[in-house]
Amino acid sequence: MRLGRWKLLLPLALLVAFCTVATSGALATPAQSGEVRVAIMTDCKGGFGFAYELDIGGAQAAFSQWGGGKVTNKNKPSAGMTGIKAGGKRVNIVGYGCGDDTAPTALKETRRLMEQLNADVMVGPLSGDEAVAIANYAKTKPTKTFIIGTAGSQDPTMQIAPKNMFRYHGDGAQWNAGIGELAYKRLGWRNAAIIMDDYSFGWTSAAGMIADFCAVGGKITKRVFPPLNNADYAAFVRQLPAPDDVDGYFWAVGGNTPGSLTAFEQAYGKADPKQFIGNLFFAFLGNDKVVAPKFVGSYIGGFGTGPGLKTPQAKQYERAVTTRYPKLPVADGFVYNYYNAAWALVLGLNKSGGQVGAALQRAMPRTLKSGYEVSDGGNVRLDVRRQAIQDQYQLQLAKNADGTIGPQVVAYVPNVDQSFGGLFKPSSPPPGRSQPACKKQKTPWQGKLKAVKNGVITKTTIK
Amino acid sequence: MRKTAWDPKTVAERGLGLGAVVVALLGPVIFSAYFTSTVLTQTFIFGIAAASLIFLSAYGGMISLAQTALMGIAGYVIGNLVTKGGAGGETKGLVLGWDPTLALVLALVITTAVGLILGAVASRSFGIYFLMLTLTFGVIANYFFGQVTKLGGFSPIAGINQYTPPFVGDILGHPDKLYYIALGTSLVVYVVMRYLVRTPFGLSLQGLRDEPVRLGSLGYNVPLHRTLAFGFAAFVAALAGVLLVWWDGQIAPQNLGLGATIDLLIIAVIGGLGRLEGAWLGAFAFIVINNYVRDIQFPFASEKGVLPWVGGSFNTVIGVVFLVIVLVSPDGLMGIWNRMWDAVRRRGGPSQGVETREPAAEAGT
Repeated sequence: MRLGRWKLLLPLALLVAFCTVATSGALATPAQSGEVRVAIMTDCKGGFGFAYELDIGGAQAAFSQWGGGKVTNKNKPSAGMTGIKAGGKRVNIVGYGCGDDTAPTALKETRRLMEQLNADVMVGPLSGDEAVAIANYAKTKPTKTFIIGTAGSQDPTMQIAPKNMFRYHGDGAQWNAGIGELAYKRLGWRNAAIIMDDYSFGWTSAAGMIADFCAVGGKITKRVFPPLNNADYAAFVRQLPAPDDVDGYFWAVGGNTPGSLTAFEQAYGKADPKQFIGNLFFAFLGNDKVVAPKFVGSYIGGFGTGPGLKTPQAKQYERAVTTRYPKLPVADGFVYNYYNAAWALVLGLNKSGGQVGAALQRAMPRTLKSGYEVSDGGNVRLDVRRQAIQDQYQLQLAKNADGTIGPQVVAYVPNVDQSFGGLFKPSSPPPGRSQPACKKQKTPWQGKLKAVKNGVITKTTIK
Repeated sequence: MRKTAWDPKTVAERGLGLGAVVVALLGPVIFSAYFTSTVLTQTFIFGIAAASLIFLSAYGGMISLAQTALMGIAGYVIGNLVTKGGAGGETKGLVLGWDPTLALVLALVITTAVGLILGAVASRSFGIYFLMLTLTFGVIANYFFGQVTKLGGFSPIAGINQYTPPFVGDILGHPDKLYYIALGTSLVVYVVMRYLVRTPFGLSLQGLRDEPVRLGSLGYNVPLHRTLAFGFAAFVAALAGVLLVWWDGQIAPQNLGLGATIDLLIIAVIGGLGRLEGAWLGAFAFIVINNYVRDIQFPFASEKGVLPWVGGSFNTVIGVVFLVIVLVSPDGLMGIWNRMWDAVRRRGGPSQGVETREPAAEAGT
């Protein structure tokens, strides 16, 4: 009988606890005072889960620098921040979103932050598909303001472009602007094959490579699309032309970069780094340890940041972050882009006098003196769809002084806009398997790439 | 032995059920906007999906892991058909911009047809083999929509809830509308299922569940009955799928992935695989835990009163709840309810005309 009683009492206790939670949740209403409620949406699970602290740290470093916020724990940004003020109002970080790089979770978390915790503004999300989902959600919540964190898909600020969404960094295609010209001029490529993850970020990243390479006269002879997070790339690399039949390969595979490159070497023998141009996945997201050592000398597309750039503005930014969170990798786009998003928010709130909604959206800055920006007096500008026109930095894998391998800036690409000189339009489909077509045309930055040596932008134009 | 009309348990159940419906009808007045538009609306939607699973399990003896995939198919049909491309439009899928009413009809028809085909294939399998077949179907559907990029691919088809049939109207501006549609659909599904299991078809289905060989030898077409039941459950899952894309506004491969499939199974098991009511009860429990577990306050712990190992650990908490329920009450929350009545009866002795234990076959009837 003792067991029977236990079997009844335990579920009953569970039920009572459950009902308490349900009732308190159902009737709870968030405190509404004269504060601005801000949510930071990032990933804590999935492929980008490692970026959780980087994103929060980047955003909070800006809140601390420009809004006087007090760091709770220097080594753990997600421990929180207190005392932020902007526009004469207290800024309350009501929650951190925990995405997993998928649209359903991103939307669920966004609802929690914006509706349950009643945030007025979101800084985030982190990744491309999440931004597509949230851009569509933003359309339905015009009084809430969304400032994209680090998402690289084109759609949120090109085709969907809700009026309450802002992005102060480039999309995945912009990050690669100039890399095609480098291939054409520095490596002498005239034709190339491209392999890309078969989803929005892979397509967008590849679109930047294709558009830039074709713009200067290059030809793409083959496009291959492995599914995201594929395990076996043998069948896909076999679709690529052999190394003797093509000048080079653009490699936009991020789901499993090492696996795809291993499959290539198994099929065609040792890879020649000069025949490969990767996107950011060759050097960031942990691949500096796995991929980079085998591809020293390869050019790689950027992440909208200038690692090691020696401009006073860059140093100022880096100092601002490291004094608050010493362990954060400042030149990582996850930190930099969230920092700029939060900074823009503080500026917007200062201008709107702490008002949110339409007033804040009107007041959001149209220029931002971001750390790695050089053009236009060091100002990133927003276009009509509230998307950044931003300097880009193309990279090369090289040996650092301490023997490690990492990306070094080799080219400065000024004022890269999202349209690539009109190739991408709101009425055109977003990047996809066949978008964009390979087309010779003029981009605003064509012929204006400057060589960068030891972190200094030289006057030498890349020819 | 038949239950009498005055069975106190039945009276209590009907009273509670009626009370729940009344509270649900007054939901938008009583509860916060978030609770009604997110927690309760989702409860109804996933309750309907879980009901399709419980119907097959309780009355057909078929535990299907394909219900999530069927929901997803309905969602993908609507998403591909109604969304529009171009500037300011949607960017994934076929973006055909068709009439939402036509899309709704096609979503229900196509999903039901797929359900019938799958049912026909799986109808000769039993037990673990049926489970594996339906799971395989779910995995195939997930990969299909994830990799056929023309139909959406890995990225979500979003913005679907801007396009609803005229009789549904603007659900974005008036979220209560969708709340009542989901509530109404739940009630209709429940009533129709309760009715269906009392028809000759439903009764023979229950016979097939218990003794398929005997029923077959008596001349019943066992595979056909199972196929039709599966088709009906697919239709119900399609309703849930349509409501899901109207509510969420998007559909992505993860909506029909393994995680989502297991979530639905957990909902059904928490609620109780033996009784239809368990579907909505399980969905409510699951969604409340999912939404509020990270906000649970423990005043005695940590500087902010939040236990860091609880905050955000939804999977851990739901896992513990699941384990406790499976251990102490394999019939889920509805089983706890039955157990409570058993305890009451034991204390007071069985009343006249009241059976002491309901056989699973008649559960919910």
